[in-house]
Amino acid sequence: MELWVDLWKYVVERYPEMLGMLWRHLELVGLATLAAAFVGIGLGILITRRRLRWLGPPVMAICNIGQTVPSLAVVAIMLPILVIGFLPGFFAIFIYILLPIARNTYVGIRGVDPGLMEAARGMGMSAGQILVRLEIPLATYVILAGVRTAMVIAVGVATLATFIGAGGLGDLIDRGISLVNTTYLLAGAIPAALLAIAIELGLGRLERVITPKGLRV
Amino acid sequence: MRKIGLLMLAFMLVAMFMVSCGGGADVTVGSKEFTEQIILGKMMKLVLEDNGLTVDDKTGLGGTMICREALLSGDIDVYMEYTGTALLVHLGHEDPITDSQLCYETVRAEDLSENGIVWLQPSLFDNTYTLMMREAEAESLGLDSISDLAAYINANPGELTFASGAEFQERPDGLPGVEATYGFEFGGANVVQMDVGLTYSALYEGEVDVAMGFATDGRIAGFDLVNLQDDLQFFPVYNVAPTLPQSFLDEYPDVEDILDGIAPLLDSVTMQGLNYEVDIEHRDADDVAREWLVSAGLLEE
Repeated sequence: MELWVDLWKYVVERYPEMLGMLWRHLELVGLATLAAAFVGIGLGILITRRRLRWLGPPVMAICNIGQTVPSLAVVAIMLPILVIGFLPGFFAIFIYILLPIARNTYVGIRGVDPGLMEAARGMGMSAGQILVRLEIPLATYVILAGVRTAMVIAVGVATLATFIGAGGLGDLIDRGISLVNTTYLLAGAIPAALLAIAIELGLGRLERVITPKGLRV
Repeated sequence: MRKIGLLMLAFMLVAMFMVSCGGGADVTVGSKEFTEQIILGKMMKLVLEDNGLTVDDKTGLGGTMICREALLSGDIDVYMEYTGTALLVHLGHEDPITDSQLCYETVRAEDLSENGIVWLQPSLFDNTYTLMMREAEAESLGLDSISDLAAYINANPGELTFASGAEFQERPDGLPGVEATYGFEFGGANVVQMDVGLTYSALYEGEVDVAMGFATDGRIAGFDLVNLQDDLQFFPVYNVAPTLPQSFLDEYPDVEDILDGIAPLLDSVTMQGLNYEVDIEHRDADDVAREWLVSAGLLEE
């Protein structure tokens, strides 16, 4: 009980600082997701094109390996390259979540029913038309699921970015750990967890809106 | 029955043999497990050996609690302890002391009367929190002390950025206390929090203008950084001195004189340099300790 009182007091007293950290966290997650979605979806589409299709399996293999690297290691790798601050934090998150987005795009588009593609070609649609009017709409659900997963992961990786001076809610969590102070720890961890849940729910809703009517479950 | 008796006898003989071997050395020297402590331990070992005593080298033994327990139980006879640590951890004081002399005198008196532990002469250096700057920038801005820094920041608010470890941000003897005592504020947007081991390179790389660190870290010497003087004596003091049980000194009274000469010759720049040799140049702590003892005239070549 005392813990919650302490926590409440801390929040009341320090909320401007906490809002700053939350905002920095959102910046890290938001900008990294935006960049990763742009690059990842592009990459995913590229490797499903007829001429580049041979690139699919190797790129996916690299994606899978990338996912197995611990996120703290990705953060640490940024150090010798970009030293400290927002930028290395941003890049660490970007690299880490690029992979699920590219993978889901690839899998989503490859999963489009070959019969439909055949029919589209038979109707005289060009490759570009097929991509825009058939493949992407049909894969939207899977692609967005990838973005959602990526963004939730990003919230977690961003808490580690504190170690390289990128700021965010990880600042508070780290203070809590090093001082063995549960108040600081929770003041950072609870908003981060809520943020992840909010993103999960929010993007879930967005998925339903964006997914073509005929495909909604 | 007889067999078991023989077996027990054999065990006892082996045990006695082992005990007598362990006790073969005159002095067992311990230290904590980080670089500075190992160098200090090696120094004590070398001067003791130079004076004809046999030494069992247990430098790098373990953390603070392990060394202290080993000292109290007689597993080791001497190790160097920090006055601030003894005050707060071993003697259970609530509040730190920020005056070196006062802290040393308090610890020396209390540890002897309560625990029978003798404190020899303390070091000049004080391995406490420090605010550092790049030497060149500190010089060009004319900043020597934290008071100078405070004056500069109050005249140019928001200009200087600061690298801090996580702990330092919230500790009363950390940033909040420094800012309150010296009457200035970096401002939240100018404070970058990072892993405490990174502040030195962040400062070195020019990512920030001021950084927190520990006063005798080798990187201060290696990266051309300077400590700003804590002229209002805000930070708790952590001078180091050899600690040993009175009972041991009764048995080996010469040890006091032998060890007393080391610490008073060590100032922070010297200690930074020695830590630098081991941490950054990856040299052997034994060699580094020996060279310094020779140059300080405490050891024959």
